[in-house]
Amino acid sequence: MATQVNRRQFLKLSGAVAATLALADLGFNESNVQAKTKALKIQSLKPTPTICPYCAVGCGILVYATEAKDDVVYTEGDSDSPINQGSLCSKGGSIRQIYTTEKRVEKPRYRAPGSNKWEEKSWEWMYEQIAKRVKETRDRTFVEKEDGIYVNRTDSIVSLGGAALDNEETHLISKLMRAGLGLTYIEHQARI
Amino acid sequence: MGRNIKFIDISKCDGCRACSVACKNWNDLPIEIEPYNGTIQSHQNVTANTWNVVINREVVQPDGSLAWHFRHTACLHCEEPSCALACSENVITKREDGAVVIDEEGCVGCGYCVTNCPFDIVQLKKVKINGKTYEKASKCNLCEGRIAEGLEPACSRICHTDAIQYGDYDELMAEAEERLEVVKKRYPDANIYSPAGVGGTTTIYLLTEKPSLLGLPENPEVPSSIALWKHVVQPVGKMLGVGAAVAVAGLFVTKKIVQSQTHHTDSEHKEGEDHAG
Repeated sequence: MATQVNRRQFLKLSGAVAATLALADLGFNESNVQAKTKALKIQSLKPTPTICPYCAVGCGILVYATEAKDDVVYTEGDSDSPINQGSLCSKGGSIRQIYTTEKRVEKPRYRAPGSNKWEEKSWEWMYEQIAKRVKETRDRTFVEKEDGIYVNRTDSIVSLGGAALDNEETHLISKLMRAGLGLTYIEHQARI
Repeated sequence: MGRNIKFIDISKCDGCRACSVACKNWNDLPIEIEPYNGTIQSHQNVTANTWNVVINREVVQPDGSLAWHFRHTACLHCEEPSCALACSENVITKREDGAVVIDEEGCVGCGYCVTNCPFDIVQLKKVKINGKTYEKASKCNLCEGRIAEGLEPACSRICHTDAIQYGDYDELMAEAEERLEVVKKRYPDANIYSPAGVGGTTTIYLLTEKPSLLGLPENPEVPSSIALWKHVVQPVGKMLGVGAAVAVAGLFVTKKIVQSQTHHTDSEHKEGEDHAG
């Protein structure tokens, strides 16, 4: 059939064509799609400086905790630290997990001699037990004189220092162990 | 300031894998434990959730001694990325700062990028959205959020031997040339790796051995079939598709208008109401 288009039909058709083209353009023009930049997750967080707890190097670390202080979002080497100048090793780099891991032990645990179970105890209980047992062992095994010479020592206790101890701490530990308790076996983690 | 690159001098790498840890830490990627594979290497290759692996290769030297090589591997951010060309949804973008970034939301998990990456970097991961499991392509994004803020990527930030550096192209390339001369004295096959077949890369290596000995392709190229598909087949197909859609819609609307005109010539006011609504 020969289509006759009057003015009214022509206007309607023009509108329809324009609308279809506009829709087609909306749906298919993908060249302008740009990947959005992810928000910086530490943007508004204030870092807390700390020292790596692992080896004797003592690298500076910045800890980015949430504002509510209930999660650690990121940790990185402290650029201001003269020791590591922002870098870290793989172990220090994983320090965030000390806080976030589900394996973290949050309370002191005690395993009685001969027992195969760990029990959760309070810090107070722990300190008291440690002090009591150290004193008991030291008093029981203390040797004042050997071959007529004053020795004032015990061979039953060992002190093992950690790499993260600083000068002042090791000085105090040596004093307490050697002069105070009479230990002779005073060692350091780095030598074993 | 010119463009920035990531320069990896593998002769300086001691294989500590801090870059891998930093990558997981910054990008909040989950743990993936792989069985011990006989070397110091933690993972066989990068995966969708492990974007950054230190590859370990033992190479026998001409004098019979053994050399250990460590190569930090992650997306090389090609200047002409095959993955972006292959992407059916156009959600992989080469950004001005050099990063090749996947917009995960728009990814439909077709896997074309995975099969077309010349370096075997992009992988698919399973993501749960509203109880349904979808596949999404995933890879290193050069810490896009960090570099956009003027910081360096997490891997180069943590590196304690400066084996990974991020910075100005001219400065780092000058350093690369300088180092190449030094490294060549010990490793005669040392070379700078930024293959032309993919238009160069934003991650540039100083390799101690031939690329193939260190797990890299010698002459990677953008597959020509992919370029043809993207630049010819897809636009033509789209044009045909749009043309067909417009034609069908046009035919339908024309028919309606013409029909309504013939059927309702004597009830003009009713038709007018229909179209107003």
